[in-house]
Amino acid sequence: MTEPRLIRNFSIIAHIDHGKSTLADRVLELTHTVYGRDMKDQVLDTMDIERERGITIKAQAVRVMYDADDGETYQLNLIDTPGHVDFTYEVSRSLQACEGALLVVDAGQGVEAQTVANAQLAMNAHLGVIPLINKIDLPQADAERVSHEIEEALTIPGEEAILTSGKTGAGVRDALEAVVRRVPPPQGDSDAPLRALIFDSYFDPYRGVVGLIRVVDGHIAKGMKLRMMATGVTTEAEEVGVRRPANQPVEGLGVGEVGYLITGLKDPALVRVGDTVTLAKRGSEEPLPGYREVKPMVFTGMFPIDGDQYPDLREALDKLRLNDAALVFEPESSHALGFGFRVGFLGLLHLEVVKERLEREFGLDLLATAPSVEYHVRKTNGETIVVQSPQDMPDVGSIDRIEEPFLRAMILVPPDYVGAVMELAEGRRATFKDMQYLSKTTVELHYDIPLGELIMDFFDQLKSRTRGYASLDYEYIGYRESQLVKLDILLAGKPIDALSFIVHKDKAYYRGKTLSEKLREIIPRQFFEVPIQAAIGGRVIARETVRAKRKDVLAKCYGGDVSRKRKLLEKQKAGKKRMKAVGNVEVPQEAFMAILKVDE
Amino acid sequence: MSDPEGIGTLTGPSLPAHLYVHVPFCRLKCSYCDFFSVPVEDAEGVEAVLAGIEEEILEWGRARLSGILDTVYVGGGTPTIIGPGVIRILESVRTSLPARTDGEVTVEANPDSATARLVEALAAAGVTRVSLGVQSFDDEIIGLLGRLHTVEEAHVAARAVCDAGLDLAIDLMCGVPGQSLRSWHCTLEEGIETGAKHVSVYPLALEDGTPLAVAVGAGLVSSPDSDAAADMMLLAEDVLGAAGFERYEVANYAVPGHESRHNTAYWTGESYIGVGPAAHGMLDPETAGASGVRTGVGTDVARVRYSNASDIEEWLQGAGRDVETLSKAEVAREDVMLGLRLARGVGARIVAAAGLEEQLRQLEAEGLVELAGGGVKQRWRTTTRGWLLGNEVFRRVWLPDQ
Ligand SMILES: Nc1nc2c(ncn2[C@@H]2O[C@H](COP(=O)(O)OP(=O)(O)OP(=O)(O)O)[C@@H](O)[C@H]2O)c(=O)[nH]1
Ligand code: SF4
Ligand SMILES: [Mg+2]
Repeated sequence: MTEPRLIRNFSIIAHIDHGKSTLADRVLELTHTVYGRDMKDQVLDTMDIERERGITIKAQAVRVMYDADDGETYQLNLIDTPGHVDFTYEVSRSLQACEGALLVVDAGQGVEAQTVANAQLAMNAHLGVIPLINKIDLPQADAERVSHEIEEALTIPGEEAILTSGKTGAGVRDALEAVVRRVPPPQGDSDAPLRALIFDSYFDPYRGVVGLIRVVDGHIAKGMKLRMMATGVTTEAEEVGVRRPANQPVEGLGVGEVGYLITGLKDPALVRVGDTVTLAKRGSEEPLPGYREVKPMVFTGMFPIDGDQYPDLREALDKLRLNDAALVFEPESSHALGFGFRVGFLGLLHLEVVKERLEREFGLDLLATAPSVEYHVRKTNGETIVVQSPQDMPDVGSIDRIEEPFLRAMILVPPDYVGAVMELAEGRRATFKDMQYLSKTTVELHYDIPLGELIMDFFDQLKSRTRGYASLDYEYIGYRESQLVKLDILLAGKPIDALSFIVHKDKAYYRGKTLSEKLREIIPRQFFEVPIQAAIGGRVIARETVRAKRKDVLAKCYGGDVSRKRKLLEKQKAGKKRMKAVGNVEVPQEAFMAILKVDE
Repeated sequence: MSDPEGIGTLTGPSLPAHLYVHVPFCRLKCSYCDFFSVPVEDAEGVEAVLAGIEEEILEWGRARLSGILDTVYVGGGTPTIIGPGVIRILESVRTSLPARTDGEVTVEANPDSATARLVEALAAAGVTRVSLGVQSFDDEIIGLLGRLHTVEEAHVAARAVCDAGLDLAIDLMCGVPGQSLRSWHCTLEEGIETGAKHVSVYPLALEDGTPLAVAVGAGLVSSPDSDAAADMMLLAEDVLGAAGFERYEVANYAVPGHESRHNTAYWTGESYIGVGPAAHGMLDPETAGASGVRTGVGTDVARVRYSNASDIEEWLQGAGRDVETLSKAEVAREDVMLGLRLARGVGARIVAAAGLEEQLRQLEAEGLVELAGGGVKQRWRTTTRGWLLGNEVFRRVWLPDQ
């Protein structure tokens, strides 16, 4: 166990892609924690999907030993965090295990939305924030401008910023020196009963739930009898250790130290993130402040293309949930798509990642319906119901009013593109709040916007209309009433529940029409005509037709063509497997997502 | 005729009644073609292939199977490009295998190589039928297809075939990008005037990797329009019908009595031998065993299909032959699928024996097939819609558990 004065706990936070994980690589190297053949780019990004996409999804804690200029060796516990807005909760959790944060800002991109949002999280948690202007090796690096932006946007004196490059390693030692000098050592009572915060957890198929903990008071050692304060479960410390970054068992962890705890408990609900670990006997009575539960914001129906895979899908979701507390799901059934699940996510990236993992790691073939938000529907009979799926929306006649979730959005953009942003926001029912110039090159705008509009391809549109310059952050602000209607899509005369969506009444006609047109392009010609209709409460507002295919025949079929032709038919049939037969219409998967693209 | 009841009650190995010989040479590749053929480069190359073909035919002769050839089809490629080589092939067939005196002997030809002299020599060598790759009587369309002959040459070659007293068959292509219904109509009329008794109508199919497919992919040529092709196929049926031709298969029209016996064998489950590189053959399992095409034994093998290597070197070494076996149930479905290509369709009892009645009833409800005739003569056949949407019909017959 190390004395608290020689411990520093900090997170690395930033906007996406500003170089957090690469800086962590350099820290691991400089402290000889990982070296030689074990070193690779963004070594802390271990999931396949992280490595492929080059982004961090899950925060990673690691301990390094640093020989500082003052001649002492410090124990640094650093947490590399994700930068994407969907995973902001990972940042706030990590920050609670720390006394400081390295705020990384890309020297070319400058301050972006999650720079501001994450810096605010750190400051609100009263952490020492050390700004780094990173990637100074880039030709387009402009440290002076960025330092000015840091001052304006974050009210942190620009001269405090340290210039670094995760690529060349420049300034990394300076950053660690700043951590040692500017981040306060952890404080806690080593004589008090144990209190340790579970700030993260993961599931190990052999060891059960592994909790990542930060000891606040007292100490924890192997063999101790423990109690989880929120769940009340008592258990034993089967193994205590530190991550370097592989798990390394230790005898114990003392005040301020960060490590992992294995209890043998298999149920993630019993080792809850945010809970406080104390002693089973004569433990503490006062839990540490926990976390607000993360709540899913967007919902989608996930259906196996092959109905036989339904039990496999359930099992796969159960397994993923072990490592992803933010994932919620319940069974859903659709006339068009059969049995599946309504799954809740933190955002669209989260959705995409989960779907991809389900397909790749579990070999499932899935169809996802367009994401939707959770509506609060006040019925005329006084009842209030929660609607997560458009198909569950009650009859128009029984609805008094509908409320939908709103967000406060923050958009950072160069002044030249303010007009483009305003135009987009206006089309999405957003209300302008205020605007501030952070520097000659960056403007900060605030809007209130329905989440339902934000998930309609808003981010991609924002990026494309600002040539990629704009960045976006948002927080949930509450439910507000809106004039919403349910729009139904009928294929060949039959309503297809999985294609229904909720839309503002002023946009219903436009979206119904453009969606019908999109569907006409997406649905392949079948050997019969397929009428497409968009309707509100039985009234048809738009109509299109997929014309019948008239010719589809292999005309040449002689000796050698027979086998070839049979194989072709088999291939065609396999191709159909990627479509969903809705009634007798073959509908490609992208049709169910087409609504997201109607505002292009 | 294949007899579904007869499958399984095999009577020992026998010589198939049909022989296909593949001549893998062309002057140059046409833009849409994915048949196996290479440009003729030198006399030695041709000689090697000819010797290989003779050897393969001789091998069948050495197998001494009972049976007699009814049809021979020398295709390609462009057989006429090797001129007298074709006669050598026919000679080798004549000396190695027993053949009917009234057999059908077809040679495929292109207008630019089917000279009057060659055609007369072919007639003298026992050829009864010439299938001429005319494709179009519109020079622009011929150009787009990358073919090397002109309308004029097509007329001359057709004349030569008729003058030699041979049955003339021609191929015509529709649904070509840029082809108007009018141009197609003229092509049909001119085709009829050649004196042909057999016309094949092929809507252009884009085959992966062909220069035409690449050009379409790059946007240099518009992609073939399947609606236009449908209109042209319907027009062909009308125009040819008025001139006394009957459509007897998806793509084939004939003045009654002039149907190709060889090609009909492909759709009626009869065995055939394939000789030459990339040639395909179909045999019953016993014959496949006796001729050494298939060495392994498996259970439930009712039909053996093989294809020779699509590589001249490999084929010459006797290597690279692919062998595919079909179970009894697969054969039954394949026979129904192929039978539905024929205008006369396939017997209702054969369909029932294949366990496909339910599928056909469903297709009937959707207007793609119909029942014709009565009693034991009842037959399932495609409707006009089902003819043009054949793949939908064939897929559901071949893969019934959709
Ligand atoms: N030129 C240059 N490129 C860098 C530097 N640091 C990181 N990069 C590149 O920037 C990209 C993003 O780096 P990461 O370290 O994955 O960024 P991150 O902040 O961890 O990203 P997220 O975890 O997804 O938010 C990668 O392509 C890196 O190679 C640097 O100092 N200089
Ligand atoms: S002549 Fe026939 S085989 Fe030769 S390239 Fe042209 S289409 Fe193909
Ligand atoms: Mg990262």
